[in-house]
Amino acid sequence: MLNLIPNFLMQAESDKLGSAFTPGLPNTPKTFWLPEGASTIASEIDWIFNFINYINYFFFFLVVSIMLYFVWKYRQKGRDVYARGPSHHLMLELGWTILPTIIVVVIFFMGFRGFIDMRVPPANSYQIDVTAQRFAWSFKYPNGAVSNDLFVPAGQPVKLIMRSEDVLHSLFIRDFRVKQDVVPGRFATLWFQADQPTEGDKFHWVFCTEFCGTGHSLMNSKCFVLPEADFKEWETEQARWLDKIPAEELYFKAGPKLFARCASCHTLDGKLGTGPSWGNYDGTGNVWERNQVGTSRKVDGGKALSDFIGPGKQYETPEGYLRASILNPGEHLSDPYGNAMPTFRGQITDKGIDALIGFMKHLDEFDAKGVWLKAPPAAAATDPAKPAVK
Amino acid sequence: MTTLDARPISTPAPDNYLTHTRGLMSWVFTLDHKRIGVMYLFAVLSSFFVGGVMALLVRTKLLFPGEVSWMTADQYNKAFTLHGAIMVFLVIIPSVPAALGNFIMPIMLGAKDVAFPRLNLFSFYLWVLGAICAVWSLLAGGFDTGWTFYTPYSTQFSAGGTIPVLVGVFILGFSSIFTGLNFIVTIHKLRPPGMTWFRMPLFLWAIYATAIIQVLATPVLGITVALLVIERSFNIGIFDPSMGGDPVLFQHFFWFYSHPAVYIMVLPGMGIISDIIAVHSHRHIFGFRFIAFSSIAIAVFSFLVWGHHMFTSGQSPLMNVLFSAITFSVAIPSAVKVFNWLATLYKGSISLNTPMLYGLSFIFLFTIGGLTGIPLAVISTDIHLHDTYFVVAHFHYVMMGSALIAMIGGLHHWWPKMFGVMYSEFWGRIGCALVFVGFNITFFSQFMLGSQGMPRRYYQYQPEFQIYHHISTGGSYIMGLGFVITAIYLIHSLFAGKKAPANPWGGASLEWQCSSPPPHDNFATTPRVGDCYDFSAVRWDEKEQGYVVDTEAHIASANSGKGH
Amino acid sequence: MSNASSTTAPHADAHAHDAHGEHAKYPFLAHHFDTPFQQFDSAKLGMWVFLATEVLFFGALFVMYAVMRFKDPYVFSFASQYLDTIMGGINTCVLILSSLTMAVGVRAAQTNKKGLLSICLALTLAGAIGFLVIKYFEYTHKFHLNLKWGQAFYQPVTPEEAAQAKVIIDPADAPILAMVAPDPSLGAASSSAIASSASTVMPPLDRSSVAVPGAGPDGLASKTMLITADTPKHIEHSDLPHLLDPALPPGVHRFFAIYYIMTGLHGIHVVIGVGVIGWLLMVSLRGGFNSNYYTPVDLVGLYWHVVDLVWIFLFPLFYLIH
Repeated sequence: MLNLIPNFLMQAESDKLGSAFTPGLPNTPKTFWLPEGASTIASEIDWIFNFINYINYFFFFLVVSIMLYFVWKYRQKGRDVYARGPSHHLMLELGWTILPTIIVVVIFFMGFRGFIDMRVPPANSYQIDVTAQRFAWSFKYPNGAVSNDLFVPAGQPVKLIMRSEDVLHSLFIRDFRVKQDVVPGRFATLWFQADQPTEGDKFHWVFCTEFCGTGHSLMNSKCFVLPEADFKEWETEQARWLDKIPAEELYFKAGPKLFARCASCHTLDGKLGTGPSWGNYDGTGNVWERNQVGTSRKVDGGKALSDFIGPGKQYETPEGYLRASILNPGEHLSDPYGNAMPTFRGQITDKGIDALIGFMKHLDEFDAKGVWLKAPPAAAATDPAKPAVK
Repeated sequence: MTTLDARPISTPAPDNYLTHTRGLMSWVFTLDHKRIGVMYLFAVLSSFFVGGVMALLVRTKLLFPGEVSWMTADQYNKAFTLHGAIMVFLVIIPSVPAALGNFIMPIMLGAKDVAFPRLNLFSFYLWVLGAICAVWSLLAGGFDTGWTFYTPYSTQFSAGGTIPVLVGVFILGFSSIFTGLNFIVTIHKLRPPGMTWFRMPLFLWAIYATAIIQVLATPVLGITVALLVIERSFNIGIFDPSMGGDPVLFQHFFWFYSHPAVYIMVLPGMGIISDIIAVHSHRHIFGFRFIAFSSIAIAVFSFLVWGHHMFTSGQSPLMNVLFSAITFSVAIPSAVKVFNWLATLYKGSISLNTPMLYGLSFIFLFTIGGLTGIPLAVISTDIHLHDTYFVVAHFHYVMMGSALIAMIGGLHHWWPKMFGVMYSEFWGRIGCALVFVGFNITFFSQFMLGSQGMPRRYYQYQPEFQIYHHISTGGSYIMGLGFVITAIYLIHSLFAGKKAPANPWGGASLEWQCSSPPPHDNFATTPRVGDCYDFSAVRWDEKEQGYVVDTEAHIASANSGKGH
Repeated sequence: MSNASSTTAPHADAHAHDAHGEHAKYPFLAHHFDTPFQQFDSAKLGMWVFLATEVLFFGALFVMYAVMRFKDPYVFSFASQYLDTIMGGINTCVLILSSLTMAVGVRAAQTNKKGLLSICLALTLAGAIGFLVIKYFEYTHKFHLNLKWGQAFYQPVTPEEAAQAKVIIDPADAPILAMVAPDPSLGAASSSAIASSASTVMPPLDRSSVAVPGAGPDGLASKTMLITADTPKHIEHSDLPHLLDPALPPGVHRFFAIYYIMTGLHGIHVVIGVGVIGWLLMVSLRGGFNSNYYTPVDLVGLYWHVVDLVWIFLFPLFYLIH
């Protein structure tokens, strides 16, 4: 059975990892069937899978070789042949009814045991709240830290408590062999324990496997396993990173990082995504310019932005409108977009909104991917090395 | 009864169902099951073409891991949804029962028509109406829910054509129900004297088992999609979690139909294969009763296993375990069938005609499809494989590799009977080989993709998966070429094919005893029934260029029990 | 009683007879049947199979009812008091009586009593139409009281209620934490940890993608919000707008959604019944049925009994549970 005690001996080699990663390089598959397992339950599941596979190989080759042999041996010779084979044989038929029955009963019990192990989380699990929204995952840690990528401590059982804001999603970490649908209106849980920290640029993919719309295939995150001490440090750092940035540096330090969460729907280069581009499209100017002069596409099926923004109107300033658009996006809809954007209330602080609005105001200082063009060379070299987190 | 043999049974009748009446109206308002079958066949194959083009578009997109300029994510989602919905609801479900079954079933049974010819025609026009709804849906903006229509996506977010397609599915459901109803009554009530249950060909057993599922499962689908339409239109809160509803309830309802629907698709295929293998091995089917009862067993079990589609959706662990256990029970009758087919080959006299090649392909592909179902039925391994390409590959092996390949095999088997012409045997074998090879390349690579963790319904994917996608797409082109060749030689045979004898393969069931194509009323007199798997009275006749059945010897052999 | 058909149908042993003779004798015999008995039997089996699909059709809805009622039984027992038991009871009697007249009609057709058949069909038709009329009054009454499905249920109807409802439906006041059920798989030890994490896991109130219902659905308001100190305890339900009912539990709209769907689908079947019984009546008045040919009467009779049977289940499940 499983080792339920967190393995505190797993802290070696933590130094060379630090907290810096270079995500993006693909893990290339080295295996024929299942990818390399990285959780404590993976080996058990792989064993069952391989066991079934060998049974399958046996029966497949048995059936096909018998078939081919018979086809060759009893091929038709001449037109006028009536073949006189046996039409039934009770013992034989009972045999090949009962034998598969026994085999599947055995397989069932093996799978059943593995399933029980997967479903029961150990009592001392580290809990992470997961929010699924079209089309991104958001992970919230007990100390209040929030990230787009999943960071977990090594050698400790981790329990994810998941909910969905909109439609069905499914969280799948293939290297851990775990998957759970996230049904709106219900809490879903899932647990795993990864003993081996991820090294260097390695990570484990987190996929959404329940179809959720246009950006379904982009709804994936990375899972980093950190040694326990590193994880504690990262967690503390992550909870406070926004607070430590001075106000004037917010837009280029925090803006692009926060934008990573928006990028699954909004582009910077004027291409239309699931939501309106923040860049210049149809000559209407970028998102800040549109809010300034109100030359957007139609809003609410006929009005212009200028009907809402300005002294004495619903929003005194463009900033107020943008803030409302993040916290209450369904209120005014820009043609031809529907009410697709989730609210970010409770997920982003005022300082984060300030950073995003600053980012919009200085969009010309960024390239299409959100990289700050005015960065000094040294800073540019180190900055992207950090995982895009919020 | 003794006056029956005045006219030799194999002499072609001067009048057949194609020439009985003429003109477009004689087809539009026909009540002849054979003409309705042919119209179904044409309609189903046309839909198969459209669904196939969608599949090739999807596969071509998947050559590239990133975005492509000629197909956006939304278009991709609509393409694979359309592919799935067309193939399931418009092609595979009606393909064997409604198209081939309509044509062959009453003749095999020795009946003049199905029990309710008007209802039969009505079913066909319901099918047409359902297809029109699919087109309407495309005009209304298409639909991108996947063929499973999972809510809340389908009720709140999906594209504008969702309601039309749900209406279409509702209508198609009734088309399917009425076909099943018709067939149940036909098999019960229109059997001629002597056609006992255990003299019925296995194809009819399979059609009968299928009809039971159609009649009992499809109403649930109908009410489910109706509820979905109501939910989407009026937001009543049955499935919407923000209104206190339960999306998982929808999944239960949907799979309560859609899992049995898998057997609606594959059971008739198994029936076809039983007949093809016996006829082309020229020997009695091995273990008739085991095969027949395994069909019924599959039909019964199929109602009890729907929960295995929801192992990861948050149903209680106890239910997962129960559904996993019951799921294995389906494996047993399936295995029984495969072993019985193998035993039928034993000591046979196997002719490798095109239908037989499809039959052997079926055994190969169905074995893979069935065996790969085992890791999906085991809960702990299914958790990893669920909603990945492994599942995609598995159900393509079952639905396409088994159900559709059987349908194509049956089409080749009965083509001479249906249209009275022979197709090119050479090109038939080439086509079959291309389809077989292409199919395996396309979908076996997807087993690897899936176990590596590639989720299904992904527009963009990680570059590490690209190699498998390249193999898969290459295979799909080969398969497409195979189908194009098949279409060409089949159509060519209609105009320039050699005239078919009444019995080109040496079958002993009733359909081979009427002329090719069959006359309007199938049989001038009530046919006499022997053992349809007893080939001892079947002889090759040079003059006919086909086989003839010595009826007296055939009946005598059946009555003495020697044929076994 | 339908078994009587097998004895009255002619030539039950007609297999050996010459088929063409049978066709000449019975003009209604279709070409692919050998005997009228075979044709009648096929039609009857077909009808039974069709009724099996009808049972499955309604069966799915009864399952939905069971799931919803099991989930929150108090919603059903509360909402059921708004249904008019007297009207429902009258409707039940009307349907049962129409079933009786239908059955007598089938017997009349079998025994060649053409006048009685027409009278029975007319009575059955009257019953069916009467059922629909009563149902119409029930529906309009409920619409008037705003007992509707979905969000429409929460639209206030009177100014008094609107003033109250404004307070009720402001989601910012909803005590969401009270609605969080602890995860049973965690055990007692970690329940406090869950309680602290619950506030972060609950869906935000003003989720943008889904319109917020006025009040009532899970997690958006509790019945405590709806109790005001000076609201008198209700005596007669129709005296009081339902939103002000102090016992109103969240999610009552679901009861009415299911009510309208199930009784509505049943009503559609009654409408179809009116159509086919009307057609039977017309044919019968023209003398189209006799003891040799009465298949349509028999089949419609079966259909009508099943429609009644469904109502026999619907009536107690909706009207008699509070």
